[in-house]
Amino acid sequence: MVAPPDNDVIWARSLHHSHNGSPALGGVSLGVRDGEILAVTGPRGCGKTTLLHCLSGQLVPEQGEVWFNSVPVHTMGPRLRERLRRDRFGWIAPEPQLVPELNTWENTALPLLLRGASHREAKKTALEWLERLDIGTCARQRPHTLLQGQRQRIAVARALAATPTVIFADEPTATLHRSDRTHVLRTLTSAARSHGITIVLATHDAEIAALADRTVPLLDGRRVATVALPAVSDTEGRAACSLSV
Amino acid sequence: MLALRLARGSHPLVLLRRLLVAAASAGVGFLLLCALGYASGHPAHSAGAVLRLLWCLVPFAATVQFAVAVARTDPSTRPRSGLSAVGLGPVRLAVLAAVSTAVSCTLGSMVALLFYLHLRGDLSGLPFDGAAAGLLDAEAPLPLPAALVLLALVPLAAAAGSAFALRAEPVSTAAPDDASSEVLTEPEAPGPTAPPTGLPWGVALTAAGLAIEAYMSRGDGRSLLPLPGRLDATPAGVLAGWALTAAGLAVAGPGLAHLCGRLLQAARPGAVRLLAGRVLMDESRRIGRPLGVVCAVLAAAAAAYALYGTAPRPLGPLTVLGAVLVLGCTTATLLTSALEARQAREQTAQALLRLGAPVSALRAATALRAAALLIVFAPLTWLISELAALPLTV
Repeated sequence: MVAPPDNDVIWARSLHHSHNGSPALGGVSLGVRDGEILAVTGPRGCGKTTLLHCLSGQLVPEQGEVWFNSVPVHTMGPRLRERLRRDRFGWIAPEPQLVPELNTWENTALPLLLRGASHREAKKTALEWLERLDIGTCARQRPHTLLQGQRQRIAVARALAATPTVIFADEPTATLHRSDRTHVLRTLTSAARSHGITIVLATHDAEIAALADRTVPLLDGRRVATVALPAVSDTEGRAACSLSV
Repeated sequence: MLALRLARGSHPLVLLRRLLVAAASAGVGFLLLCALGYASGHPAHSAGAVLRLLWCLVPFAATVQFAVAVARTDPSTRPRSGLSAVGLGPVRLAVLAAVSTAVSCTLGSMVALLFYLHLRGDLSGLPFDGAAAGLLDAEAPLPLPAALVLLALVPLAAAAGSAFALRAEPVSTAAPDDASSEVLTEPEAPGPTAPPTGLPWGVALTAAGLAIEAYMSRGDGRSLLPLPGRLDATPAGVLAGWALTAAGLAVAGPGLAHLCGRLLQAARPGAVRLLAGRVLMDESRRIGRPLGVVCAVLAAAAAAYALYGTAPRPLGPLTVLGAVLVLGCTTATLLTSALEARQAREQTAQALLRLGAPVSALRAATALRAAALLIVFAPLTWLISELAALPLTV
């Protein structure tokens, strides 16, 4: 077994995984350095989400190793992985995935409350982060009364408020319009840089990937040098059609 | 045909729920047939026959409520991507739910007919042939059209009820078929409903029912609607009072559950108390009504036991069957509603787990909810049963 490099906060070696037999990852290795923003790019279905699930301990890869700060994640039991996720990781999904019963500040404070922080302290931190993300005015509203962009910003605030070591953002702006998209990404990246939080960002958008320090392109569950495919000629299907007519 | 195909491939638990509906429907069908047999066997006692038929309404209502609750939790009748992709919208799904419910209820009714004929001795060749010929008035012929009409009542009512229940609710979000699929177009869960407002009405109805019962039980004990069999001396007014009390509890249930949730999340809650309380507040409508009904049924059972439990042979076999049906159906309805609430919150639970919330915290929240409801509703049941039995025992 090779010891992971010291300056990598997350380090993965030859991850293989399949969902009920359908292959998702075929031997991906990567290292995430402390404090960097790493973009995992590739088209839909190339294994970005599965890779993020494996790195964040939500899935145990069928083969391969995942290390976090020189601690093996792939050998941990479910309870330890849960705790690791709660204490050190943040997760931003394409959907806001807020708890509909809780209002905005309660949703933001939830990770802190789950860690056992006191009510007052959690509320103070949550309100601060909501102010920073320009949604302080709707701190007492329920998620269903807000706009999609505002809800996604709450999800970002929820991930940031717990000041995790690593935030995994899986297509965080996929359901947003362009103006909301830049706003969400700007707040996420600037907050991460100012607080030294590492971000692993999965995206299929080259524009978003340009914000990252480094890019890891994936294609069909493998790490490749580039995802630029030869352009498909327009007439490929038509010729076949015209033959059959 | 689609209903049958979907039933064939469904989970054993779903099939078990359907089987329970069929069993309840069989029980009610049996009771209805017994009432019919009594009517054809005793033409002189027509009032008694009508009375038996009327008493069948209670298990009938409980069974229909259970069938509707099962139809609401049925995975094959909720909007889902697989069926909506082939163009089955909410209307067709309501029809599908009605057909599935009708199928299971009809199955139960057929079993009831066979069992009834068998016990009467009309069908031979099996053990217990004609074992209950005396009880079931075997000497009188059974009018077949009447029997078929009575047996069709449960399937028709349950099918109509489930179609209406599924049509009435707004189109809920299609749940992803498995947890691993990340559906990008998944809409956010619909907003929570307004808090229930029925608590004052429920309390007023319950109080009025208890008052009517106390007032009527003072009278000369005229028995207009005596329970056939043993419980002969129940005045009609008392029963009307009981019906009002039960309705009041069913109306007050959601409000009480909401109040429980509100108290649970009050005063600087931690994560578990916050989640438990808020979820209870939002689920109060779904959970509260069956809980109120169970509360009323249990109070009635406790009061009946206090009044008649000491008699040497208090209940006849058919009364026991009816009581078991009512108790079983209302309890099963409550459990099914709890299951429905859990299904509706599945996505939230997934999101919480993704945040790293420990499974134990979610379980603790569920246990806390159940405990809060128990703490409020158990003394309430005891109080109502005591109040209901009080005027009849003194």
